[in-house]
Amino acid sequence: MRQTYGKLLPGMKISDLSGKLIVIEGTDGVGRTTQINLLKPWLEEQGHAVLDTGMTRSPLAGEGIRRAKEGNNLGRVTQSLFYATDFVDRLENEIVPALRSGFIVLTDRYVYSLMARAFVRGMDSKWIRSIYSVALKPDATFYLRLSIDQLIPRVVFSRGFDYWESGMDLYPGRDMYDCFCNYQTALLAEFDRLSEEYKFDVIEASADAEHVFERLKAGIFQVLEADSRKEYISAIDAKTISISAAAGNGKPAPATPTTSGADFELILRSIMAHAANGNGKTAYSHK
Amino acid sequence: MEITSGNGFGPFEVFLPIHSAARKPQRQGDDGYPGRLFIVEGIDGSGKSTQLDLLHKWLESKGYGVVFSEWNSSPLVKDTTKFGKKKKMLTAATFSLIHATDFADRTEKSILPLLKAGAVVLCDRYVYTAFARDVARGMDREWVRELYQFAVKPTVAFYFRVPLETAIGRLLDGRNGFKYYEAGMDLDLSDDPAESFRLFQGMILKEYEEMVPEFGLTVIDATLPIEVQQAQVRQIAKTHLDNASNVRVQR
Repeated sequence: MRQTYGKLLPGMKISDLSGKLIVIEGTDGVGRTTQINLLKPWLEEQGHAVLDTGMTRSPLAGEGIRRAKEGNNLGRVTQSLFYATDFVDRLENEIVPALRSGFIVLTDRYVYSLMARAFVRGMDSKWIRSIYSVALKPDATFYLRLSIDQLIPRVVFSRGFDYWESGMDLYPGRDMYDCFCNYQTALLAEFDRLSEEYKFDVIEASADAEHVFERLKAGIFQVLEADSRKEYISAIDAKTISISAAAGNGKPAPATPTTSGADFELILRSIMAHAANGNGKTAYSHK
Repeated sequence: MEITSGNGFGPFEVFLPIHSAARKPQRQGDDGYPGRLFIVEGIDGSGKSTQLDLLHKWLESKGYGVVFSEWNSSPLVKDTTKFGKKKKMLTAATFSLIHATDFADRTEKSILPLLKAGAVVLCDRYVYTAFARDVARGMDREWVRELYQFAVKPTVAFYFRVPLETAIGRLLDGRNGFKYYEAGMDLDLSDDPAESFRLFQGMILKEYEEMVPEFGLTVIDATLPIEVQQAQVRQIAKTHLDNASNVRVQR
């Protein structure tokens, strides 16, 4: 049974969320996006519908946050709440509907990143935790971990320093390198603390992308193995096979691509099974 | 008519202080920040904005440095709120959060620094508006109160108490039609915007009344003549400005 971290938003039903919520966490530059871009096609290839989402991608607040970050006057409390707005918009309008439709939701960062960023900026822990008490507990959280020494070359020699990733709003007057080191070190410490508290599955991100991918695949495979629907899905498979066999015995399959009566019944059955499984809602597609 | 005075609470305790790297503000006695924060609350049509405007003019005439901050007016956030309302994409939760974000920006940029600088800050609607509206929309009472823990506690929170029918009568004279969220149309109370507005305002009124003892709101009878209400407001404000000679500015 799916749970939140304490509070349930009005109108949110969580009893029938049959999908899987998989979180990829880690500081800036550890390769989260790269991994998600590998995981999505891998999962789809196996027949899973995937929704990928991530911070600041909400239709409501994404653009507002981007605009606010262009200036130099986004305060710490405001920033924390703007991100919370973005998160809840995606939670209510993307994550929950997708889970209800049986999707695997891959999220690039989750509330843990938002908490770590807020804590580093001195926000009250009780306050932040209360806000995110409405978040769903994920099925798995993979924390891609990289030490600060390994992180620096990755960031510097790929995309360069970013004002916010360097925490320039926190350490005024220093150069970007110093700020980046201070900020990312503080973030790492918060992540490590959160990792203990929320029992993240830690993956050393210093390995090459392929090894990290293999490790993630193994982890996700376990989550899917534990899927309560699995028995049901294999039952359908067994039924499918027996129906096909029965159809095959009765009369040879027609050479034309038209659907035979038996085939039609088979398709109908699987659609009905799909609907019974909570997948009957309008297919969800991410913009 | 009895005036509930708001002296039951300290002027500028922050509800729950945020760890700040900044130096503690210069304190004036035990008053916290040197400025003063007066806010007005009440349902639509209670006449609170008129009263705040009159207080504003009076304070300026007395030589105080006065700053006004309105609900939902942050330059950084209000476009997002407007967009969400126009597209009707706000849920109870995101409605609550985006308004908190707006309020946070105004707290960080104007309310708090100006109170530190010794200004008299006037707010048309404050956290109590969010407490009333968001809870009426179904948000958890405790969650919403916790959300606004960063707010500065007002010196005086004036609550303009008015019966629902009086307030609606005043509004119907002056306008045609209600906006979607204003009328609480998102709550599916009624298909008729006027009826929905009436029901929604009734729910908000109930929340306000419960907050009077909870937060020690200073109740003003908003059915009295404007001049009488204003005299009461000024009298109460004056008692909180007695030791605030240094907040006057040369004009």
